[in-house]
Amino acid sequence: MPYPAWRRVAWCCHVLFAVAVTWPGQALVNAPAPFVLGLPRQMAWVAAWIVASLLVMWRLDAARSRDARRESAPTRAEADVG
Amino acid sequence: MSDNFGLIAVVVFAYLAATLAVGLAAGRRASKSVQGYVAGDRDFGLLVMYFITGASVFSAFAFLGGPGWAYSRGTAAFYILSYGALGMAPWYALGPKAAALGRRFGFVTQAQLLTGRFPSKGLSALMAVLTLAAFVPYVTIQIRGAGIVIEAVTDGRIPLWAGAALAYSVVMVYVLASGVSAVGWTNTFQGVFMLAIAWTLGLYLPQKLYGGTGAMFSQILEARPELLALPGLDAAGNPWSWGAYSTSILVSAVGFTMLPHLFMKAFTARDDRTIRRTVVLFPTFQLFLIPVFLIGFAGVMFPEAPDRPDFVLPFLILRTDLPALVVGLFCAGALSASMSTGDALLHAGASVVVEDGVQPFRPLSDKARRVLMRILVVAVGATAYGFALNESSSLVELLLASYGIVCQFMPSMLAAMYWRRATTAGVASGLIAGAVTAVFFFLNPGLKPLGLHEGVLGLLVHVPVLLAVSLAGKPQDEDHVESFVRV
Repeated sequence: MPYPAWRRVAWCCHVLFAVAVTWPGQALVNAPAPFVLGLPRQMAWVAAWIVASLLVMWRLDAARSRDARRESAPTRAEADVG
Repeated sequence: MSDNFGLIAVVVFAYLAATLAVGLAAGRRASKSVQGYVAGDRDFGLLVMYFITGASVFSAFAFLGGPGWAYSRGTAAFYILSYGALGMAPWYALGPKAAALGRRFGFVTQAQLLTGRFPSKGLSALMAVLTLAAFVPYVTIQIRGAGIVIEAVTDGRIPLWAGAALAYSVVMVYVLASGVSAVGWTNTFQGVFMLAIAWTLGLYLPQKLYGGTGAMFSQILEARPELLALPGLDAAGNPWSWGAYSTSILVSAVGFTMLPHLFMKAFTARDDRTIRRTVVLFPTFQLFLIPVFLIGFAGVMFPEAPDRPDFVLPFLILRTDLPALVVGLFCAGALSASMSTGDALLHAGASVVVEDGVQPFRPLSDKARRVLMRILVVAVGATAYGFALNESSSLVELLLASYGIVCQFMPSMLAAMYWRRATTAGVASGLIAGAVTAVFFFLNPGLKPLGLHEGVLGLLVHVPVLLAVSLAGKPQDEDHVESFVRV
């Protein structure tokens, strides 16, 4: 997926993150049990969104670096001429 | 404790000596210019940038106040966990753009960028005043946190005033000598230290006291279910409102993005790639708050109670028969949290006052500015130290109000970097309207609708004023605007 598409994904992810950890999103996940890895479910919910943010930002940066390398690399035709 | 005091003191002094050595050594590489003192010659790599941003999360408030909130207000503490990653994500776009503008125009502070686009000495002075108003209570809490920890673990042998003075004397020396280079490298040293301590204690205490985190939360759920129901409790022990919980997250996220001492670090990074990678890795630092909250929850079912919720962490440490070496290391970890935030605030506060509050009105030489910054580091530190010794709950309230003011910087900075049609009058009037609204609702909390944070209410006034006044005025020169927007 190209960088602009990942940028849109990152935007959507963080808007959803903001909704999910505030009212009304967080109110839908307000039962502490069952615990997740020993943590109350609401705490695990917030932690899961932080991990999602990390993964999306990591993919975004990887896509950006890849596209930047492609843009800076000479095309095959240019390389042949060189 | 009397038998262990010597060993604890040795560990604490060894930590302070190591921090001082790291801080002083860091300054050897930096140039003796304002750019070297304030922006580290724009040469910070990923490791230092990661810890310098992380230190803004791991403050004395997080290390002592976080467990205190979990202990006394339960799930309300989760708001602290929620906002950091949200506040840092916009930096992926804002950071490199601010850094590029800094390189192009020589900016080293947030206000310089703003007044570069919107030339106004008054706006520059306003930013300096608002920044300082936000910083003093913030530094005060860091200094007081250092004093509390030292007093608690030495059983009162080193009183709060002496502990705070000791820790911040070390901070003063390395900030005066080495500027932001010392802040960066000591934050790295302290960051490793406090993360190790936080995870060790966060996993150890629930295990020792309850047999594990699941068992701990089961007991809390049975005995104090109100602590595990969002949005938790308020300071008086009554249920907190969803409006206050949600807007605290949003205001803190926006305020975090705009924290002047964090924003200025965009000008210290070696390159854009470093800034972007710092943003990508930042959520890992946010996850490190989890063990800190576990420590607070571990105090809920403990048979004894601390005098104040903020003391729950040292209180538990001293009552669980931990070896003196571990108590000393905990003390050093908590001092790290306090000092790593306090040093950045002292340095940034002094830099902002000189660069934004003095330089536009009375241009000084490079050398005179560096001298004045050092004087102001001492002045700001001494003022905050004075407040720290006479702390009352109003200081914490002042800190929350300062976030309400800092988040008003967001529309102005976005307008400076992205909105072609924004004008100086629009930005200035929006900033004043937003700040006045935030302060008004802070002073009249009974008038706040739905318990919304005053910062959000300020933004609701700020943005329409910025838009209306800008659109009513004459657009800025096109070339000038393009030099800021097209970067």
